[in-house]
Amino acid sequence: MLSIQQLYHRNEGGFYLLAESLVTDVILAALSTGGDFAEIFMEDTRGTNIRMLNGSVEEGVSGRDYGVGIRIFQGFRSVYAYTNDTNRENLLKVALEAAAALSGAPQLTNIVLQRLVVDRFNPVRLEPQDVPHSDKVGIMKRANLAAAGYDKQITQVAITYLDTDQHVLIANSEGLLVQDRRIRTRLGINAVASKGNEKQSAFRGPGRHMGFELFEHIDVEEIAKDAARSAVTMVNADYAPSGKYPVIIDNEFGGVIFHEACGHGLEATSVAKGASVFSGKLGQQVASSLVTAVDDGTIPNAWGSQNIDDEGTKTRRNVLIENGILKGYMIDKLNGRRMEMEPTGSSRRQSYKFAPTSRMTNTFICAGQSTKEEIISNTEYALFAKHMGGGSVNPATGEFNFAVAEGYIVRNGKIEKPVRGGTLIGQGSQILQKIDMVASNLASGQGMCGSRSGSIPTDVGQPTIRVSEITVGGRKGAN
Amino acid sequence: MEIQEFKDRVFAAGQAAGLEDMEIYVSKSKTFSTCVFHKEVDDYTVSVEQGVGFRARFSGKVGYAYVEILDQDSVDLLISGAKANAQIIESDDEIEFFEGSPRYPEVIAYNRSLEAISAEEKIEFAKALESEAFATDERVSMVNYAVTGYSETEVYMANTKGLEQSFERNGAVSFVSAVVREGEQIKTGMRMMFGNNWGEFDAERLAQDAVREATSLLGAKSVPSGNYPILLRHDVARDLLSTFASVFSAEAVQKGLSLLEGRLGQQIASPRLTLVDDPLLKNGGASASFDGEGVATRTKKVIEAGQLTTFLHNLKTAKKDGVESTGNASRPSFKSPVGISPTNFFIEPGTLTYDELVTKMGDGIIIIDVQGLHSGANPVSGDFSLGAYGYLVENGQIVGPVEQITVAGNFFEVLETVEEIGSDLEFGSPGSRGHVGSPTLLIRHLSIAGM
Repeated sequence: MLSIQQLYHRNEGGFYLLAESLVTDVILAALSTGGDFAEIFMEDTRGTNIRMLNGSVEEGVSGRDYGVGIRIFQGFRSVYAYTNDTNRENLLKVALEAAAALSGAPQLTNIVLQRLVVDRFNPVRLEPQDVPHSDKVGIMKRANLAAAGYDKQITQVAITYLDTDQHVLIANSEGLLVQDRRIRTRLGINAVASKGNEKQSAFRGPGRHMGFELFEHIDVEEIAKDAARSAVTMVNADYAPSGKYPVIIDNEFGGVIFHEACGHGLEATSVAKGASVFSGKLGQQVASSLVTAVDDGTIPNAWGSQNIDDEGTKTRRNVLIENGILKGYMIDKLNGRRMEMEPTGSSRRQSYKFAPTSRMTNTFICAGQSTKEEIISNTEYALFAKHMGGGSVNPATGEFNFAVAEGYIVRNGKIEKPVRGGTLIGQGSQILQKIDMVASNLASGQGMCGSRSGSIPTDVGQPTIRVSEITVGGRKGAN
Repeated sequence: MEIQEFKDRVFAAGQAAGLEDMEIYVSKSKTFSTCVFHKEVDDYTVSVEQGVGFRARFSGKVGYAYVEILDQDSVDLLISGAKANAQIIESDDEIEFFEGSPRYPEVIAYNRSLEAISAEEKIEFAKALESEAFATDERVSMVNYAVTGYSETEVYMANTKGLEQSFERNGAVSFVSAVVREGEQIKTGMRMMFGNNWGEFDAERLAQDAVREATSLLGAKSVPSGNYPILLRHDVARDLLSTFASVFSAEAVQKGLSLLEGRLGQQIASPRLTLVDDPLLKNGGASASFDGEGVATRTKKVIEAGQLTTFLHNLKTAKKDGVESTGNASRPSFKSPVGISPTNFFIEPGTLTYDELVTKMGDGIIIIDVQGLHSGANPVSGDFSLGAYGYLVENGQIVGPVEQITVAGNFFEVLETVEEIGSDLEFGSPGSRGHVGSPTLLIRHLSIAGM
C-alpha cells in the first residue's frame, strides 16, 4: 500500500494518476529498442449498472476499471501492451516487454512533458456518483410504468440504467501530458408486446455525455411509451414484402445506415490499407449531391462527444462528404502516418485494454430542403423505415445489412400499414448515390459501436431521407 | 496486494459492514496477439490482467461490485458498492451462496506446450498466413487480417460458505481474411481456427481455404425470391445456434422469454437432431470443472433425438423449478452477475460428408455466410432475416455463387425441419456464450429474398 501512496498523487478529482517522473521513465523504457513514438494511456473509471425487469430491480453492479496501456510506434509498426498493475517496477517491465517486439537503437533519451489543460465543453452538473441509487431507481420506475401501462399487449418491460465516470491520463513522447474526465449517463428501455405465441420487442436508449441532469433534458415517460407503441404496432403487423423498391428512412436512429454503410468505410483504419471503397477518392463524387455528412465530436454533451480523443488530440467537426463530394476521412496517428495526413481527433478506444484507432463520434447526414411530409406524399410505393435496428457492414466490399425495427408500407403518398421483419441489404456507396430526397428534420439517436478498438458510445443521425431503391429481405414473397 | 491478502481484507471489512454472505470471483489472464500486414508486424499486443468480482448478501438481498486493482480504495468500493446495490434489489429470487460440490470432475483444458510457443513462432505463423494467401491466387489484392493470438486464464472462486476452487485454461486462435479483385469485383473470404494443440494449426490450409472461398464468390449473382431447400454450412449453422442458444436457458424460460416454455419432454426438433452441452470436453474452449457459482459441471443432452430433455440451469432457476442445477451458471466476466450459458455446446454429427449433402439436396442454396445476426435475429420469437452469400445448387452440383440475398426463417422451424446432418462438426471461437459447434445441416426450405 505504501508504495502506491508514494508513487501516485491525488488530482483535484480525488483520483490517482501517474506521477510525471514515472510517465517519463516508462516512455523512455518503451523507446529503448528504437521506437520513434511512445504513449501512455491510463484510466480509472467508476460506473454503475442497474437492471429492472417488470418494475422490480433485479441486479445492481458497481465497478472500477483501472489500468494502463502502453503503445509504441516504429514507422508503421505498432506495439501495444496493457496491465492493471501500475506499480513502478511492473510498468517498466511491461514497457520493456512491449519494446522487445521492436529492434534498434534508442532515438530519444529525454522528454520534457508539457501539461495541457483541456477545454471542457461537456459540462456536468450532477455527478452520478453523488446521486443516491434510490433516485436512479426512481427514474427506472417511471419508465417502467409508462411502458407497461401503455397497452395490455405489453407483457414485459426491461429497464437498464448506466453511468460511467472515466478519468484518463494521456502522455506521449512528443511531450503531451493531458488529463480528461468523461461522464456519461444512459437509460435503456426494452418493451415486449405479445400476441398469442408471437412476441416483438422495441428498444429506446437515450444517453448523453452528461451526469444525472440527463433526466431534466429528456421526457422519460414519452420515450418509454414510444418503445411500447412500437412493440405493439409490430406485433400486430404483417411481414414486409421482399424485393427491390424505394425505401424512406426516418430521422434520428435511421442514421445508423450511414454510420454502418459509409462511416466505417471513411475511418482511416480501413482507408489507409486501401481496404475501403472510399480509398483514394478524395474530391470525387461519391454520393448524391443532396448528401452532406459530418462527424462532429464537439457537440456539447452529445453521447459521442469528447473534449479530446484517446490519443489526446482535440476533437473537431470533420466534414466527410459535402454536396456529394468526398472531403475527408477520420484519421488516427498511426494511420495518419500511412496516409501522410494529420490526425482528425477521431482516435477512440473502449478502455486501456484496446489500442486506439480511428472511429466515429457523432456522425450524421446534414439537413436538406424537403419536409418529411413532402417525401411521403411524393412517393408512390415504398417501405418507410421509421425505426432501424442495428446492422453491420463488410468494409472491403461496402456490403451492409440492417434490420428494420419498425416499418410501414407507403402507397400513393400515404402511410398504408405497418410491416415487420424487413432487412435492408446493399452496398453503401450505391445507396449514397441513390438518395433522392433529404428532409430538414435532422435528429440523433444513441448507439454503442463495436469495432477494432472495442465498444464505444456514438451518436448516429440524419433527417428523413428517401433512397430510390434498396433490396428488402423478409419472410414474405415479393409484392 | 496479493489476492489472498485482498480477499481477507474484503471479507473482514464486509463482516464489519454487516454483509452476510460474501463471494469473490477472480480471473487472471495473459494474452498475446499479432497481426501481419505487408510482411511486417502491423499490430502486436500483450497483456497481463486481473479482475475481482464480488457479491454479497445484505438484509437478504444480493448486490454486486468489481474492481481491477487490489488496493484499499478497491476494498472500500467493493463493500460500499455491493451494499448499496443489495439495498435496491426488489426481486424475490432466492440466491444461494454455494458451499461446494462433494467432488469435482477432472477437466483438461490447459496445454503446457502451447504456453511455450514463442512470440517469434506466432509472428512467423501470421506471416505465413499472409504469404500463403498471396501464393494461392494472383487475384489476391490484399490480406486484410493475418492474425495469431494466445490467451490463458485462471479462475479462482472463494466464499464465506467455505467454497474455494480454481481452474485454468489456454488456447490459441488464428484468423485470416483475404480480399480478391477481378475487374471491378471485390470479394472477401476468411478462415478462423481455435484450439490448444499448436500442431493442428496449418497456415497453408487456412490461407488457401480463405482465398478459395473469396475467388469462389467472383461472379456472384442474386437469385429469384422464393422458398429453397437450404444447406446451412457448419459455420453458419453454428452461428445461428449460438445466436439462439438463450432459448434453452431456464432463466429465459422462467421469464417468459423462450418459446420452449412448457415443452420439456416434447418433440421440438427433427428426430435426427441431438444437442449436447459438454463442459468436460478435453481441451474445449469452454471446459471447466465448476461453473460460475462453484457447482461441479456435468455433460448432458439438451435435445435427444429431437426431444427436449432439459433446460440449462443455475442454482436460482433450479430451485424455482425444483430440479438440480445443471452446472450452467455463467460469469461471462468478473464484471458480470451470475447468469446462464451453455459450455461446449454442439449438435452431434451425422454420417454424410459435406459433398454428399450437396448431392442429396439436389436443387437449392448453400449458405456459407450470414450477416446481421446481432440485429436481424430475434431470440424471443426465433425469427431471423439475414443478409447471406452462398452457392446455387442444381442437380446436386454447385453451379455458381450467390449474393445480394437475404435468408429468412424461424429458428424453431429450422430445428424441426432438419433433414440431414453432416459429419463435419466444427467449433467456432469460444466467447461469453460458450463454445458452440455444429455440423452442416440440410434444411427442408427457407425463404430467400433476391431479385
